[in-house]
Amino acid sequence: MSILVALQIGLGEIFAHKFRSFLSMLGVVLGVSSLIATMALTRGIEEGTRFFMQQVGGLELVKVVPKEASSEMFEFSNLSPGLTLRDAHSLRESASLISHISPEITLSMSVSCGDGGNAERRKARGIWPDHFVIGMHGLAAGRWLVDLDVERGTRSAVIGHTVADQLWPGTPAADIVGRTILLDQTPFEVVGVLPLYERDEDTRARQLGQKPRKYRWDPFLQKNEAVLIPFSTMFHEFRSGAFPEDSMDSLKLDILTVKVGDLNHFRPTLGQIRSVLDLSHRGVDDYDLETREDWFDRVEASVRAARLSGGLISAISLIVGGIGIMNIMLASISERIREFGIRLAVGARPRDIFWQILVESMLISLLGGLLGIVASLGLIEVLKMISPTENVPVLTADGIIFSVAFAIVAGLLSGLYPATKAAQLDPITALRYE
Amino acid sequence: MSILEFEGVRKTYRVGDQEIHALDGINLRIEEGEFLAIIGPSGSGKSTLMHLLGCLDTPTEGRMSVCGTDLSRASADELARMRNREIGFVFQSFNLLPRLDVVSNIELPLTYSGIPARERRKRATEAARRVGLGDRLANRPTQLSGGQCQRVAIARALVNNPRIVFGDEPTGNLDSATGRNILEIFKELHASGKTIILVTHDSSIASQAGRVIELRDGRIAREERS
Repeated sequence: MSILVALQIGLGEIFAHKFRSFLSMLGVVLGVSSLIATMALTRGIEEGTRFFMQQVGGLELVKVVPKEASSEMFEFSNLSPGLTLRDAHSLRESASLISHISPEITLSMSVSCGDGGNAERRKARGIWPDHFVIGMHGLAAGRWLVDLDVERGTRSAVIGHTVADQLWPGTPAADIVGRTILLDQTPFEVVGVLPLYERDEDTRARQLGQKPRKYRWDPFLQKNEAVLIPFSTMFHEFRSGAFPEDSMDSLKLDILTVKVGDLNHFRPTLGQIRSVLDLSHRGVDDYDLETREDWFDRVEASVRAARLSGGLISAISLIVGGIGIMNIMLASISERIREFGIRLAVGARPRDIFWQILVESMLISLLGGLLGIVASLGLIEVLKMISPTENVPVLTADGIIFSVAFAIVAGLLSGLYPATKAAQLDPITALRYE
Repeated sequence: MSILEFEGVRKTYRVGDQEIHALDGINLRIEEGEFLAIIGPSGSGKSTLMHLLGCLDTPTEGRMSVCGTDLSRASADELARMRNREIGFVFQSFNLLPRLDVVSNIELPLTYSGIPARERRKRATEAARRVGLGDRLANRPTQLSGGQCQRVAIARALVNNPRIVFGDEPTGNLDSATGRNILEIFKELHASGKTIILVTHDSSIASQAGRVIELRDGRIAREERS
């Protein structure tokens, strides 16, 4: 008997009992649709997380932060100059695997308009131009700080959106460029304004005129409240007076941010940074490398866990669906014993009967799977409405293929027992069966 | 060579501790083209004999060969192949599949011999014409009379052009006029060269056969040729 005949018989049987077939499909429909929806959902969370990770600088970002030397090293700690601008220079020259580097000092100061209005205390940061690449900044208007600003120590500043809006409420970014702000009474020219960084859902809420949600921790806060000036200007205007004996090179940094050139060489890059710093720090461990690896790993692990548990629940419902099919198939074969007897009498081999039942149960699960895809489309639309924008469910081809394949396997497994049972029928007994 | 050869065939069933000898040493040769009737009271073993002759079962003991093939220890697949190619069955209760139309019912044996769909349809239509049902191809068995149903069953038995046609009380569920009609068809088949074996307890039908075997207690009690 060819597969085509088996398919034909199976389809005939399914359509002859439409309601019964639908009932037996139902479990598979639910299983497949929830499996597809779960996969779309976790995929959405994954992509949302990736996007978020990118926004905060990605895996390439490595922070060098000063710390107290460990107790064993403590007596040697004054042998080390600490984390200084010299480290930034030597890393830039010797660590070939890093692509960008920027030292940073932060000072809290009063920020106001040129006429002294709207004053507020903010954290200003002295940086190198590489900072804009490392921090993945965009620009709403104006320009970034460039090497020339650092060389000449110009009084130029790039400010975040929140700062600009607080100083000159409602003024477009392009008009703010060129205006003067006072940083602790020292006039600076605003050369660039950063765009407003926010989550998609906040954009939507703002457009609808609703109040944006308050976050426990706003990942964009630092960017929106940025006041960025050249590193050299920061030193000359604000720090040299306080510590006249310091030269700029030996000034202790608050932080040193580094961008790894190629993520495939992440570990060697860290090694390179360490060897350069260990040399200038004379082996004293008074600095730390902060990477996002651990954090990213944790996030990925939780996404994996979500996918696994969602998949598991859906898989269970698929198994339940398979049991449903088995149940119906068993009922159906005991109803059709005489039919099998007739088929055997005219020359069907036991394996023909076996295939007939197996193909039929696989057809039921396949049809259930197809209905499940349709149902999942609707389910995903509903999920889209209620889930946060950056985690919006993403329907994927592998999700669909995997679910339908799983459904067919469930149909196959649940058909095996009834098919074996039907194939073991004795033709004489089956023919006599009333 | 005979088309059917039984030598010392026994069929024993075990019911609990008891052994029941449904067939107790049957020696039988049937030549190609014979018209044979098997009679006997119920419990005489005539159904068991027909099941063996019809390759639905194998003997417990003894040798049986059908169309020159020794099937004494045949597998289920070998038996199925023999039923499919060389044997046609006509049952008392017709045994049609109620969900299939006439032509699909007739096609049934062909679907198990790997014949392409177009050829199946052609041969099934021919067989239906041969039993006078050329105009009822698309009907379901429930829409047919008993006599018509039995004609469908005969067409199904013939569609693979077998050498042996079995009738198990083929007229048992029919009124006498229709029964005579069906019997006429069997006679025509015999005339066209088929080996016909009828199991019956109707002596008027048995009298039409060229050879009658009477079974009693699993043995051949009497044999008669006319």
